[in-house]
Amino acid sequence: MWARHGVIILTALGLLACYASTLKGMAAQWWTDEDMSHGFLVPLVILWVVWRERERWLKLSPAPNWWGFALLALAAGLQFASALGVGLFAGSVAFLLSAAGVLLCLGGSNWLRVAAFPLALGAFMLPKLAVVYNQATLPLQLLASRIAAAILTSGGIGVIREGNILDVGGHRVAVVEACNGIRYLLSLGFLAVVLAYWSDPKPWMRWVLLAAAVPVAIVANGVRVAAAGWLPSLEEGVPHAVSGCLIFVLCLATLMLFRQLFNSVYVHYRH
Amino acid sequence: MNKLVILLFWLTLVSCLSAQIALGPTVDTFGVLAGSTVTNSGPTVVLGNLGVSPGAAITGFAGIAPGGPGLVSGSINSANPFAAQAQIELTAAYNAAAGAASTATVAGNLGGLTFFPGVYTSSSTLGITGTVTLNALGNPNAQFIFQIGSALTTATSSTVLLINGAQASNVFWQMGSSATLGTTSSFAGNLLALSSISLGTGAVLQGRALARTGAVTLLSNTITAPAGLSGPPPPLVTPAPSSLLLVITGLAGLMIYQNRKRLFKSLKSH
Repeated sequence: MWARHGVIILTALGLLACYASTLKGMAAQWWTDEDMSHGFLVPLVILWVVWRERERWLKLSPAPNWWGFALLALAAGLQFASALGVGLFAGSVAFLLSAAGVLLCLGGSNWLRVAAFPLALGAFMLPKLAVVYNQATLPLQLLASRIAAAILTSGGIGVIREGNILDVGGHRVAVVEACNGIRYLLSLGFLAVVLAYWSDPKPWMRWVLLAAAVPVAIVANGVRVAAAGWLPSLEEGVPHAVSGCLIFVLCLATLMLFRQLFNSVYVHYRH
Repeated sequence: MNKLVILLFWLTLVSCLSAQIALGPTVDTFGVLAGSTVTNSGPTVVLGNLGVSPGAAITGFAGIAPGGPGLVSGSINSANPFAAQAQIELTAAYNAAAGAASTATVAGNLGGLTFFPGVYTSSSTLGITGTVTLNALGNPNAQFIFQIGSALTTATSSTVLLINGAQASNVFWQMGSSATLGTTSSFAGNLLALSSISLGTGAVLQGRALARTGAVTLLSNTITAPAGLSGPPPPLVTPAPSSLLLVITGLAGLMIYQNRKRLFKSLKSH
């Protein structure tokens, strides 16, 4: 028993040592990029999930699987490519693949199955993929501007939209790059999956709520921009942070309602 | 010697002050404005408005038929009053640039040269091969005006470098005919052309492409319209709170939601 624990701890330490530079790079991005600062919480949530599943872990008897080495080799290739200049994203994916490979090597497919969800949560701490981010930014900015203009117009507030600039009664608001909604999207996506895991035993609910989080986050970002356009006092400082968090909590409440709705539909059709 | 320095400084100051040109408040918002057509191929990005007037044809951009890969952060204006007003202001700015008192004469290739604030005149074509440097001497309001008798042509990968506070919004290239930016060249300033403007594949323009009568042709370019002298930039929406704060708030909300029955019980018992 103790020998097994020793092997696990040593392997984990080895993995951390091998990917120290990648992990350092990831932490640096969490520290400097406010879109990604939730990355600090992801490992904690993963540890909480593992602890919550401890009964399942203890029941499993290890059945080492050689395919784990294939995953480790693939991860090593990715890490090598990352070191050659492909970028931090490849190295971070390699870290998660290596973790999966180690689990397969030490405990077999049963271990990997139990670890699948915590490993999948690790995707939320991966660095932003620059190609995708750059392509998505401008369309999302324009979308947030359109949604905000539509909300203000439907509320009877006069607004002139010039691309990403809203003129609300002479008060001009620019929907800049950092207002594109990716921050809401990543944070809400992560919490949607955690919500589904915590409150619902059905694994498919995680995917459904993750998908539902996308439109909710996009619309919520539009609401946030509209609020800032309507009430200039919400543009900065504490009121800005509080309004941003309140809208985010409302998003989460919407996802909880969606969960109830999906559950009702599921129960209805099952019976 | 000191008197000479003071005289030179005074002349430079007078020439700079007398050369102040401002784009109008409407044309100031445009990244691209043409007289006849705007044509695009490839994933061009225009940060600013795009328009054409009195012509109406705009091709190669998302958001206007027949569509295309180009993206515009601002509005697309085809032969509407907004574009017409921008053209009126462009004509005024063009005439002001053309009529500014010249401080020096230039010719041929500007590559490798450094220019200080002033009005530079060329009776015929001008070219840029390599790097041309515009040095504002620490004055962010310093203007550079290039009066070009006919065409401006830049070579592949040529660069206009702004240093010591020089601003793209304060650089004016006034052409008697057209401007052609070479493939992957990096250009700065407002291009004010009497007829047409053409950007080579991958050319980056930190400024505006404004053509009075002819076409603007784009090929996978990035054009960023800078803030001009005609007004302050619009206030920015400060972004959403950091994702760390959002997730902490969300996790707290989830905890309350998951333990709501226990919380209600304890509240009742108290």
